[in-house]
Amino acid sequence: MQAADAGAGGAAGGAESQDREGGHGLHGGAGAATAAAGGAPRVTRAQHAPGPGGDATSTARRPESRLHIFVLSVPFPSPLEAEIAHGSLTPDAEPHRGAVRKELTVIGSVLAVRWKAEDSRLLRISIINFLDQLSLVMRTMQCFGPPVSR
Amino acid sequence: FLPGDTARHHRAVILDLLQEALTEAGLTSQDVDCIAYTKGPGMGAPLASVAVVARTVAQLWNKPLLGVNHCIGHIEMGRLITGATSPTVLYVSGGNTQVIAYSEHRYRIFGETIDIAVGNCLDRFARVLKISNDPSPGYNIEQMAKRGKKLVELPYTVKGMDVSFSGILSFIEDAAQRMLATGECTPEDLCFSLQETVFAMLVEITERAMAHCGSQEALIVGGVGCNLRLQEMMETMCQERGARLFATDERFCIDNGAMIAQAGWEMFRAGHRTPLSDSGITQRYRTDEVEVTWRD
Repeated sequence: MQAADAGAGGAAGGAESQDREGGHGLHGGAGAATAAAGGAPRVTRAQHAPGPGGDATSTARRPESRLHIFVLSVPFPSPLEAEIAHGSLTPDAEPHRGAVRKELTVIGSVLAVRWKAEDSRLLRISIINFLDQLSLVMRTMQCFGPPVSR
Repeated sequence: FLPGDTARHHRAVILDLLQEALTEAGLTSQDVDCIAYTKGPGMGAPLASVAVVARTVAQLWNKPLLGVNHCIGHIEMGRLITGATSPTVLYVSGGNTQVIAYSEHRYRIFGETIDIAVGNCLDRFARVLKISNDPSPGYNIEQMAKRGKKLVELPYTVKGMDVSFSGILSFIEDAAQRMLATGECTPEDLCFSLQETVFAMLVEITERAMAHCGSQEALIVGGVGCNLRLQEMMETMCQERGARLFATDERFCIDNGAMIAQAGWEMFRAGHRTPLSDSGITQRYRTDEVEVTWRD
């Protein structure tokens, strides 16, 4: 977890200072340093479903609505740690459940989070709250990890 | 308290606090049997901030998780500290007002507020009169009430087994400025009158529950339980019934982490486990939703 130590602090700080306006990409992760060693960190972009007459690949169900999608990929030092983060961050229900939906999955050592929302303000609030919680989980792992062997 | 600010505070201090607790106890993670945390009720963001840490350490250390009901935390700590065996419980705080009695594996709610908690009523009254929050509005109301001389008539709102406080609050918000301006009474008189009225209501519904249950013990828990006048009035009622009153001091009346650990330990001993999938926090969590398998 030593590599994650510098990485976690940096990644959390980096994630928070990233510009979120206009759907810029955001990357974060406990293992930013590890990711740098192992490969490039993944940067993902928010996609806006365009209105009428827009992109054929848009995900809007009704022409009048704009469905915002935001995807975050968080690398961890191991699949177990990604699973632990998933276990910690999934159980609490989203406050505006109807308006904002998010889905967490683990793929290898990566925690993938996918948001869908019609209201961009609520989406932004949800992302900010999630990042605060994610940062706390990562700091907890730094202080009290690594996980004991099963 | 604003939920966002409170959550931010918890996130900032929790890890140091956890480390400090382990160090002070001279324990390591291996010595820990289980992780108890507050599942609810309460404010969402602060509850969630603590819950994620509980889930994370439970998984890191591979220990069982116990989601505890906050109200039951108060009851179990009250029982432990006072030695009361099967009391009728008056749980009174800024967020809750309930009369609870144990029956057949549930903490049954016999009576409660139908609107705001008594502590909330006292705090908002303090704000109207611009009473200081240091150390707490309730404490300052209690001190001022001792200097009150005149009993001002206030609405008395017991509704069967339940109580209501928002009416009294609106009345006093309305009347206070007028009465103070005309010199009809002093702020101390209002503090005195409010306490006498709301505490008498609480004593009445507690007594009603004790009569229903044939109970010989009463226990006061929650922050408002620190109030000595409330304890005095409850004691008078208990003596009249030949019952015993149990109360704790401010270390254990007011919300504390140890009470969650105590209830968690009882649950753990009785075989309860909270699976991760079930561990989500909940702002509304009724005291009688929990199966109290650790008591007969």
